[in-house]
Amino acid sequence: MNQVIRKHIFRRFKKAETKVHELNYLFWECTTRCNLSCLHCGSDCSKDNANKDMPLTDFLSALDTLKSKSENFIVVLSGGEPLLRNDIEICGREIRSRGVRWSMVTNGYLYNEQKHISLLNAGLGALTISLDGLENTHNWLRNKNDSFSKVDRAIGLAASSSRLNFDVVTCVNSRNWHELPALYDYLILKNVKAWRLFTIVPIGRAKDNQELFLTDLQFKELMDFISEKRKLKVLDVKFSCEGYVGSYESKVRDQAFFCRAGINIGSVLIDGSISACPNIDRSFSQGNIYQDNFAEVWETKYQAFRDRSWTKRGQCAGCADYTDCRGNGLHNWHENKENVLICHNEKIERATKCNLHI
Amino acid sequence: MKRNWTRKLIGGLSFTSAMFVFQACYGTPQDFGLDILVEGQVKSKVTGLPIKGIKVSVEENMQYDFTNDEGKFSFYTEPVNSLKIKFEDVDLDQHGTFVNKDTIPAVTDKKVYLNIVMDSK
Repeated sequence: MNQVIRKHIFRRFKKAETKVHELNYLFWECTTRCNLSCLHCGSDCSKDNANKDMPLTDFLSALDTLKSKSENFIVVLSGGEPLLRNDIEICGREIRSRGVRWSMVTNGYLYNEQKHISLLNAGLGALTISLDGLENTHNWLRNKNDSFSKVDRAIGLAASSSRLNFDVVTCVNSRNWHELPALYDYLILKNVKAWRLFTIVPIGRAKDNQELFLTDLQFKELMDFISEKRKLKVLDVKFSCEGYVGSYESKVRDQAFFCRAGINIGSVLIDGSISACPNIDRSFSQGNIYQDNFAEVWETKYQAFRDRSWTKRGQCAGCADYTDCRGNGLHNWHENKENVLICHNEKIERATKCNLHI
Repeated sequence: MKRNWTRKLIGGLSFTSAMFVFQACYGTPQDFGLDILVEGQVKSKVTGLPIKGIKVSVEENMQYDFTNDEGKFSFYTEPVNSLKIKFEDVDLDQHGTFVNKDTIPAVTDKKVYLNIVMDSK
C-alpha cells in the first residue's frame, strides 16, 4: 500500500517538475575531438573530428541569456574529451566568475597531477571518470593499450580530493559484467565513494557490435548485483537513470526513474544546437545559439521533452508500466522514433520468465 | 515562489531524500561542496614591484599556483579552519631572492584578497 501511495505522489511530483521545468543542469559539448576511439562511443568521436571546438565566448553568450539561475545550477563540460581543450581552465574560471558551478566528464587519459591541480584551482567541483573493466577489458573497449594505467592514475587523484564530488562510471557489457565484483573491490581499494553503472545503447559506433550488449539474463544479474551491493552501504553503487527497471526501481537507485531531459537538463551542443543530454538524437534539437536566444528557447520550446505522450507508440503503446516509465530514457528514441530502442523492464521480465522455466 | 513550495511539498511527501539531487545519465554528480576564491598580489618590500614566480600554496593541500608577471595569483580551494597560505620563492634567483612567508587570512566571505609583501634575502 505504501508503495502505491509513493508511486502516486511521485507521479504528481514529476508533473510538477515538468510544469516548472527549472533548468538545473546544462551540458556544454565543448569539443567532439577525442584522444581515444572507444568501441562503444555513441557520438562516433575521433581525433580529427570535423567540428571545431566551440569558442568559449559563444557558449558564454548563451549562458548569459539566463537572467536568473536555480540554486543548484551547474554547467557540465562534456565531449569528446574536454581535456583536449587547452583553455579548459579558462572556461571553468569564466563560468565560475558568473557565480555558476562547473563539472566535467572525462576518460581520464590526460588527467595527471598537474591537470588535477589546475582544474581544482579553476573551481572544478564535480567529476566523472569512465572505467570500463579490469586492465585488459578496459584497454579493449577504450581501444588503447595504456588507457587503464592512465585512468587508474586519474581515479587515484580524484579520489584523493575531498573537494570534488566524484564518481566512476562503467559501461557494462558482455565482456566486463563478470568482472564487476573485482571492479567493486578495486574501487574500494582506490577510496572511490560512488560508482554508477550503465549499459550500452546501440547507437553510434556501438550499433553493430553485439559483444557490447548484455543478454536479458546478464542484465537481470546486473540489477541483482547492484541491489546486493547497495545493501552493504560500503560504496554508493547505483544504476544510471538510463531507463525504467520495474520491480528493481527502489533497489538500484536513490530515486525512482525520471528522465529529466528537457525538464531540468539542457545542453548546448558542438554546432550550437540547443537540446538536452548529448546522447539524445540530434533531431530533437530545439534551436541554435547562433540564431536563437537560449533562455527563450528553454522557456518556450522543448514540447517533445515535456509532453511525452507521443512515446505511447510501438511496444510502449500497450505497456502496463507506461505511467511510471513514460517511454523510457529519451536517448532510446532514435531515427524514425517509431519504437523505443531498449526496454529495460522488458529485459528483466523476459529474464524472470526464463529463470522460472529453468 | 508558490510553485517551488508546491514542488518541495510533493517531493518531501514522496519520501525520497534525494528528490532534488539528480545527475543526468551521462553527466556528473552535482557540486554541493563549499569553496573559496583566494586571490592576491605579491610585491617586493624593497622595490615595491610585483614578484613573478612565487609559489602560493595551501598547507596540507596539494593545490598551488605561481604568481604571474603582475605578481598576481588566484585559485579556488576548500575553506578549512585556519587556512594557512604559504608563499615560497622556489625559482632560485631568477626574479630576485625572497624570504618565504605564511599567512592565515580571516575568511569571512566566499573570497579573500591578499596583498603580500616579501622581504629580500
